[in-house]
Amino acid sequence: MRRPLEQVAVGQELPDLRRVVTREDVQAYADAGGDHNPLHRSDEFARSVGFDGAIAHGMFTMGHMAACVVAWAGEADAVSAISAQFRATVSMGQEIVAGGRVRAIDTEARTAVLELWVSSERDGELEWPIKRGEATVRLGS
Amino acid sequence: MPAVNPEAEGTRYPDVPFVVDTERVRAFRAVFGQAGGVPPTFLTAAEFSVLPQVIDDPALGLDFSRVLHGGQSYELERPLREGESLTVRARIDSVRVRAGSAFVVIAMDLFDDDDVPVAHARSTMIERASA
Repeated sequence: MRRPLEQVAVGQELPDLRRVVTREDVQAYADAGGDHNPLHRSDEFARSVGFDGAIAHGMFTMGHMAACVVAWAGEADAVSAISAQFRATVSMGQEIVAGGRVRAIDTEARTAVLELWVSSERDGELEWPIKRGEATVRLGS
Repeated sequence: MPAVNPEAEGTRYPDVPFVVDTERVRAFRAVFGQAGGVPPTFLTAAEFSVLPQVIDDPALGLDFSRVLHGGQSYELERPLREGESLTVRARIDSVRVRAGSAFVVIAMDLFDDDDVPVAHARSTMIERASA
């Protein structure tokens, strides 16, 4: 069931969605998504190209952001556009938090534009694996 | 200097078939704890069906070992349907060089059997400056 237009207001926040990124989940993502870059599996390879160890796919983080949107929108089919800019890498064992808020509503088209982000704390510093995420969601009646 | 060739901008790649495989969609959903439907970012699987052509294109000359994913956008004309067969068409939308790094935007369009557009993707790949 899609979220009804009547239950949406500009400025409304989406509930945060948290997860700890594990090697097993990243491997399962690589298999399902088809991105087998060793950067996301091998610490040794990742170090050889200048990282501290294997990192999650940007698309893993974006998939998590999309899950936050789908949970709010009510169904996957409600999402008609989604975008992200990747600004920080995510290491194995790191917790990521997806969030967002309603930026605009089109009552005629029954759509909402959401601004989205994914934050993460690393060594006490707040980082933004995704900044300026955005999605367009079709609303129900 | 980046390895990538800025003159590759505008390159079009041959069509590639892509099936919205039910098992694969299920596996993708499971990663993100989704109950039903095709997750919108499942479009990445279609992109990875054409990416080998792009990575192996000697005229583009992308050094994939130095590539980071800088950004991604998807637009869906309608939701993908499990089990359907689509056609993927990819092109190099732009190549820009800034501060020794190259920003390559790969655009991909998906069409159904009647050549009706179903979805669009834009992927920004950053080929990092060599150390």
